[in-house]
Amino acid sequence: MSVGAAEVVPGAGGGLGFLDAGAEIAARSPLQLFWRRFRQDRVAMVSLGFIVFLIVLAIAAPLVVEALGLPSPYTQNPNLTDSFGSPLGPSAAHPFGVDQLGEDVMSRVIYGTRVSLEVGIIGTGIATIIGVVIGVLAGFYRGWVDTLLSRLIDVVLSIPILLLGLGIGAACAVRGCVKGAIQPGLGEILFLIAFANWCYVARIVRGLVLSLREREFVEASRALGASNTRIMFREILPNLVAPIIVYSSLLIPLNILLEASLSFLGVGIRPPTASWGQMIAAATPIFNTAWWYMTFPGIALLLTVLAFNLLGDGLQDALNPRTVR
Amino acid sequence: MRSLRTITLTVCAGVLALTLGACGSSSSSKSANSGIGVSQGIQTPATQALSGGKRGGTLNVLNHEDFEHIDPGSSYFSIDYEAVYATQRPLYSYKPNTFAAPSPDLAEGPPQISADGKTVTVHIRHGVHFSPPVNREVTSADVAYALDRGMNPNVANVYFEGYFASIEGVKGAKGGPIPGIRTPDKYTIVFHLTEPQGQLVADALVLPVSAPVPQEYAKKYDAKKPSEYGNYQVATGPYMFKANAEGKVLGVGYQPGKSATLVRNPNWNPSTDFRPAYLDQINIAIGGDTTVIGRQVLEGSHTVQNDPVAQAIVKLAYEKYRSQLEISPGAGDHYVAINNSKGPFTNVNLRKAYWAALDREAMDKARGGSLVTNVMTHFLYPEIPGFEQAGGLAGPKVDYNEHPQGDMAVAEKYMKLAGYPSGKYTGSKTLQVVGSTGNPAPENAQIADQALKNLGFKTKLNLVDQSVMYSKYCGVVSEAIDVCPNVGWVADFGDPEAVLNVPFNGKLIITNGTNSNWGLVNHPKINAAMEAATKIIGTSARAAAWAKIDDELVAEAVAVPYDWDKQANIEAKDVAGVGDLWDIGEWDYSFTSLK
Repeated sequence: MSVGAAEVVPGAGGGLGFLDAGAEIAARSPLQLFWRRFRQDRVAMVSLGFIVFLIVLAIAAPLVVEALGLPSPYTQNPNLTDSFGSPLGPSAAHPFGVDQLGEDVMSRVIYGTRVSLEVGIIGTGIATIIGVVIGVLAGFYRGWVDTLLSRLIDVVLSIPILLLGLGIGAACAVRGCVKGAIQPGLGEILFLIAFANWCYVARIVRGLVLSLREREFVEASRALGASNTRIMFREILPNLVAPIIVYSSLLIPLNILLEASLSFLGVGIRPPTASWGQMIAAATPIFNTAWWYMTFPGIALLLTVLAFNLLGDGLQDALNPRTVR
Repeated sequence: MRSLRTITLTVCAGVLALTLGACGSSSSSKSANSGIGVSQGIQTPATQALSGGKRGGTLNVLNHEDFEHIDPGSSYFSIDYEAVYATQRPLYSYKPNTFAAPSPDLAEGPPQISADGKTVTVHIRHGVHFSPPVNREVTSADVAYALDRGMNPNVANVYFEGYFASIEGVKGAKGGPIPGIRTPDKYTIVFHLTEPQGQLVADALVLPVSAPVPQEYAKKYDAKKPSEYGNYQVATGPYMFKANAEGKVLGVGYQPGKSATLVRNPNWNPSTDFRPAYLDQINIAIGGDTTVIGRQVLEGSHTVQNDPVAQAIVKLAYEKYRSQLEISPGAGDHYVAINNSKGPFTNVNLRKAYWAALDREAMDKARGGSLVTNVMTHFLYPEIPGFEQAGGLAGPKVDYNEHPQGDMAVAEKYMKLAGYPSGKYTGSKTLQVVGSTGNPAPENAQIADQALKNLGFKTKLNLVDQSVMYSKYCGVVSEAIDVCPNVGWVADFGDPEAVLNVPFNGKLIITNGTNSNWGLVNHPKINAAMEAATKIIGTSARAAAWAKIDDELVAEAVAVPYDWDKQANIEAKDVAGVGDLWDIGEWDYSFTSLK
């Protein structure tokens, strides 16, 4: 992110009018510069719009389901399956069809948004906070602190996350783990995301801090008697905002996919809570006879992950315009 | 119990340490006239022709799953049984169309049980020979050695002690001669028992552990841990695993995870056997996706599938290939185990309320509908002696059993009787519900969970792998799981004791191992009745006694039964498949032929 940049606002006529005598030159804040660049990226804007839509949908899921005249995602209706127990397909009453329990798929896709966003945003937020703190400490203090934390990062990075998830899922399946601190389901997923992802953030932040701590403004703060804590979190950290935002935005879709993968493997979100991954898993054995059950949660997952990825790219371009892609 | 090949059915890991009874796979037999519905035009093991097949040819079997054990001393799995019963001859075995009446196989006639029930005598046939490289005639000493192996830790038989514990000297035996098994001559074997349980011992002689094993040949393999006899086994049945000159099967006639080949046993004498053995060879391919296999079989030639058939393929077969579909009734049961010993369900009225509230038709629909299920109304199987006395298909006439689609009015009545005047549970307890993964178990678990919620319970539903469900939660007493909606049972042989004793006898609850009384059912009156019934000799007397016990189990609502399974199996159009009623309809290689 360019700090303290200024751009010249073109004159009313556009073109090179600003070269004319008397042209107005206005300084812009970093935020204004970011927004100006970001809004020019139509793909990113559409992605942002879609994500905002998803957030609204997640928050207002009960109202949306009711407004659409759909049954609750937990309403089982065996009459909506045929004599073999196969679910019935899309209809006016159930636009996305129903599942093997006769539950409305559209309703469950809408409620599934909640899980994906909770996991994506909260899980990434926790991982980011932990990663930033550890990365700043390691980069700032260097020496044995850096060595210790860097080795810890190396260890965590070497753990296969999906296998760890399966292990935790099995170990914490019913009673939870760590005296109930990690509960099966959402708690388990959030723990796993936080545990697995903080190290990526920490490694990036550490590298940046190692560079920033040698800069003049840090020297100046130190000369003015600022404490280490103040230097780390009031002087250096604001300079890390851009890369942290960019990286976090790219972590969100990965975490959504991780939740879907774990739920698909049966160790993530537990029924009856609606989760796209779990729906896809349940649909797999009957895909030949009930394509809709896998298709609609699959599309929702695809679009959501795509939107977050494109948003992340857009943020990267807007916050770091010198990056060559 | 015999481990089931299916992704859905029962695992009863606790039999090892149990005294009596057992679970197993398989089926109660169900003949065409007993009312277990199989749609018109669909073949069932009960109606298939056992004779008149065309001799010769090679049958191709496509199996997603591998064998667990091919050693007759340790096999306990329906897929194992297909090969084991084609290659081995236990003292008794069932013909494909029955689960009620065992036929003398290696034995010459029915077992003779002494009046006091403490001695069982069996005479074996003359002229039965082992396959190469042993080649010699089978004697009673070979049967005795086979049974001794049941206690050999290297063989690791899981059911032997459960059924044969009453034989003198079984306790503490480690594979050496069991004193209570004696062979007064080459063709006679006598079992001396410490308890009057001759009927149970005689019934259990249908299990493959009674198939003869030549000691002089097998001993060196049995000395290894685990025993390698299975990899070098010799046969007495019409077929044998393809082997080299030294008798080695592993890598020759059996490639684990890949394939197996059964060929004719050159020493088999048809005049000593009731099996026609039409086929010349059976090639078994292991692995692959069940849905793909299903399509290959339905559209292929000289091919059958022996795995559980995918639900979509069952539907396809029913709609387009009906003549290639076999439905085997009585292939096990499923019920919701509810904790009778701890928590809210110690209250019998709450148990009855839950029984009334559960939509058992929806449970069965999730399992594939009426083509492959019947609503279970009590605990004895169809065709198991005592089934009809216990109420038959309709079951006992109690109000909580009358509406399989669930009846909330009746449920509310029992909730009030249980002390909840609003008709809803108002206690603080959150119920721990543990089900299993793998279609359709999660669907069943969710329906069962929803029924609890409809009664006002707060629940925590967790789904784990089926083996974990049994070994870590539902089968562990200290876990005190409140509800296990995916448990089930399959009898090893057609005796009511094999159905009811282990899962519902409080005296058989195992506190320091894997327990198979998942609902911790422990009612003194029922326990006493079971103890008395185990000692009864004679089919009809036992049937009457166990039917009364079944009535008591329903009266106490010890669990909520929902499904008597009917297993679907498929064959190519040019195969005259014969399924085994006693082995959940699995194709019997010794009776199946090519058209």
